[in-house]
Amino acid sequence: MSGAALRGARRVYGLSVRLLPERFRSSFGAELEADFAELAAHSGERRGVAGVVGATLRAVLDVAWRALVERLQGNGDVMTGRWRSPRGRRARPGEVAMQWLGELRQAARTLAARPGFTLASVLTLGLGIGATVAIFAVVDAVLIRPLPYPESDRVVHIRHHAPGLNLSNLENSHGTMALYRDLARSFSAVALVEGNSYNLTGSEVPARVRALHVTPSWFDVLGTQPLLGRRFVEGEGVAGGARLAILMHGAWRTRFGGTADVVGRTIELDGQAVEIVGVMPEGFTYNSDDAELLLAAEIDRTQDFGTFGRQGIARLAPGVELAAAQAELARLQAVIPERDSDLSAEFLKNAGWSVTVERLRDVLVRDVRTALWIVLGTVAFVLLIACANVANLFLVRAEGRQRETAIRGALGASGPRVAWSFLSESVLLGLAGGAVGTAVATLGVRALVAAGPAELPRLEEVAVDARALLVALGLSLLAGILFGLLPLPRQLRTAAGALREARGDTGSRERHRMRHSLIAAQVALALVLLTGSGLMLRSFQRLRAVEPGVRTENVLALGVSYGAQGGPEAAARFYQQVLEQVRALPGVRSAAATNSLPLSPSGINGGSFSIESRPRDDDEIPPVTMYAAVSAGFFETLGVPLRSGRLLGPADDTPGANAVWVNEQFVRLNLPDGDPLRERIQLGGDEAPWREIAGVVGDVRTFGLAEEVSSMVYVPMSLTQSSIGIDLMQLVVHTSVPPSSVLPAVRATVGRIEGRVPLTTARTMEQVLAESIADASFIMAVLGIAAVVALLLGAIGLYGVIAYVVAQRTREIGVRLALGAPPAGVHRMVVRQGVTLAVIGSLIGLAAALPLTRLMRGVLFEIPPFDPVTYGVVVIVLLAVSALAAWLPARRAARVDVVVALSAE
Amino acid sequence: MRGPAEQHLEFLPLKATWLHILLALAEGAGHGYAIRAAVEERTAGAVRLWPATLYGALRDMTADGLLEERAAAPAPGDDARRRYYELTGLGRGVLEAEVRRLERIVAAARATEALARP
Repeated sequence: MSGAALRGARRVYGLSVRLLPERFRSSFGAELEADFAELAAHSGERRGVAGVVGATLRAVLDVAWRALVERLQGNGDVMTGRWRSPRGRRARPGEVAMQWLGELRQAARTLAARPGFTLASVLTLGLGIGATVAIFAVVDAVLIRPLPYPESDRVVHIRHHAPGLNLSNLENSHGTMALYRDLARSFSAVALVEGNSYNLTGSEVPARVRALHVTPSWFDVLGTQPLLGRRFVEGEGVAGGARLAILMHGAWRTRFGGTADVVGRTIELDGQAVEIVGVMPEGFTYNSDDAELLLAAEIDRTQDFGTFGRQGIARLAPGVELAAAQAELARLQAVIPERDSDLSAEFLKNAGWSVTVERLRDVLVRDVRTALWIVLGTVAFVLLIACANVANLFLVRAEGRQRETAIRGALGASGPRVAWSFLSESVLLGLAGGAVGTAVATLGVRALVAAGPAELPRLEEVAVDARALLVALGLSLLAGILFGLLPLPRQLRTAAGALREARGDTGSRERHRMRHSLIAAQVALALVLLTGSGLMLRSFQRLRAVEPGVRTENVLALGVSYGAQGGPEAAARFYQQVLEQVRALPGVRSAAATNSLPLSPSGINGGSFSIESRPRDDDEIPPVTMYAAVSAGFFETLGVPLRSGRLLGPADDTPGANAVWVNEQFVRLNLPDGDPLRERIQLGGDEAPWREIAGVVGDVRTFGLAEEVSSMVYVPMSLTQSSIGIDLMQLVVHTSVPPSSVLPAVRATVGRIEGRVPLTTARTMEQVLAESIADASFIMAVLGIAAVVALLLGAIGLYGVIAYVVAQRTREIGVRLALGAPPAGVHRMVVRQGVTLAVIGSLIGLAAALPLTRLMRGVLFEIPPFDPVTYGVVVIVLLAVSALAAWLPARRAARVDVVVALSAE
Repeated sequence: MRGPAEQHLEFLPLKATWLHILLALAEGAGHGYAIRAAVEERTAGAVRLWPATLYGALRDMTADGLLEERAAAPAPGDDARRRYYELTGLGRGVLEAEVRRLERIVAAARATEALARP
């Protein structure tokens, strides 16, 4: 048995010896095999077959390594100068580095001698690398890095869904959170979070501040502690109010001077005394929420189980996986009917009730994930195009240096030696590009963070940090090595063939093939980018064409916060008083107030309602609608057309009135037959009053241009109950002058009536409109810039190649012309060559664009990913630009002077 | 012109493989397999010279003038099919220079109390 093993081992070794270069094998082949035979036999005697196998593996590796070293050393007889030390010596410290430095210095000198080439390459690479690194930094911070809490991947977000009620995301109620706190074993802590805004007094300036009501367990879920003072502990929370507060770091600095004695101080929120017990650490944020305060809350089982909209988070107990937690909560849904009789099993079934447990990070970044990956893909494409361009430049240079390479080869420079001189230049270029790129990325990220697209979560964490720098370095080296290697096979052959073909005429076909492939690849990449940006452009046009349903010119919107103290009647009276005086200001045509500004999804309320003429069974799912509180004059001020009935006048906005208004969508969905003006509806529970529908108004894009029109009920603000908060209202002012010019007068009016009332953001409706499509604008801008750059680089590349080919073929063209070919024919021939490349590239690009643009489905508006118009226009544009890029050098070809062309050389 | 001592220093510090080969040949000429066996024996199996590495080193050492090849087997009973190598003057000098260098290091180490022999 061991005999067979030995024979096999010798055969394997014999095969491996063939890896060695001929000259080594002819000297030592026989001895290698003889030695191995003895060695293998020896190992076999001592350790049997295992010994033979082990020895064979080692010996084969040894041969493979030797073969590599021998081949890299090249022709061992001819060695060039400073490259190597005596072979037997270990490298002295610094020696290798010095040799590298020497090579690099030489490379730097060569590059400096051609500033045009060098500058073009470095800038092209720099822009490509810079854009990629900047977007990488964003993607890394937003999508890849874990949230800044200990073991943050164990923090989960709990949500409920009721598609049957048309409510895809209900979040949680106090009831569900109490249920999970009491019964769920998958979690080590469960916390409830609720956002709210308050008028803050007791600091220097009265202000409207956002606060998060959190249960004390919130600190256990996130695993975070305050920097100063202490956290909330069990039993300290109050439901629906505020007693203890912890300041966020930013608010502590800006509003309280950043002094430690703030702990223990008392502030007033909506007139209620609240004690500050702590300050959160710097850089801590919760879900990118801009809250300035944390307030101690508790899960309140007495609250209506069915009132949802509270955030629920939890930390997975040790050893529990996400799927197990999800399964447990799904089981616990069966307990809900026991806790709330309204939510019967039948009702839950009809509603399509379900619960999901997801990692908090995934929930946070869901909306931007697609957009960010698209943008990263886009800049990566631009980088690829930039690389293709620089590679082409490099190929041209390499051809120019063929003589030099040949001479070095003839003088005995080995293959690796030639390769190294090319590599050091290209790597140096790559690194320079990387340095420029890092600068570009740093500036870009700074600009991005400063611009602060509001839709981007975790923006505060974005920075060009060590990881981004590492990516920049990696990209630079990769690019550098690629350019260095591309022309290499050809160069090495030249070195081997010495001066035999120093004129460099043969082999040009192969060279052209590589250059042509690069151009086709560039055209393909450019086509993908152009298609992407074309789709975005068309989608954006559609978006802009959407009727917002409200007037946007000459309308100012200003947030005014009366606060919750004093109750809704006092608030309504205050806003009416403000409106009266604002209407009297010069330049003001009309003014009104609403708690929910059209086109921006803030302040809006929604819920179920009943129609008097259509009673329903207990198990039937009630219809839902959105509703807003508005003042008299709201429809006129925002230009919302009246379809039937009457407009909302001052008499309707008094506590004794009983009329509400609905939009056309409401009628379409709920009262498709019959006269809505004869109907009465009830918003909220059974005790709520029945209201008459006094008018039907036009549809408004409540949540933004890209969103569906929702069913709306407009309630005069004097009639609002606690379910519609009017403590923060938006004043809308229609002006006859530029809207921002009346802002100071409006501010002064509010201040005169009530000095302690804070004013929040002031915007024109045009700005509100722009913000509602900011996402689409952002992606379109990025894709658009990328596409233009891609087109430009692609055209330059094509132009360069055709121009080069024309220069190379001057002689041939001269012969053709001399033989009577018409110049127009020569012209056509050259253009055809360029266009052929572009057509091939376009076909490849189309094949790539079809699957890639499908990824954009989520960000497109009313445009299918495969939009024939976009594809058609893009292909035509690309071919036209290519034809132009080829036409310019072709004209030169047709003008070749026969005598000059033929007499050269 | 360089003196012989400087020429020896050119090779220092010496690669471990080369040092072992020089040591193995210091006692007299030998062929590849014998060198391998001697090194393995001296180091109690800790250093194994695999064939391709060994012959590559022998070729390079010959090219650099540390070894020379003997045309014929030096003594009866030797294997006539094999090539025998022996040290040149330069080879012996390099070996001595390397050993002196190592001695200095060992002496310096001994002088450190923490490393002194018990």
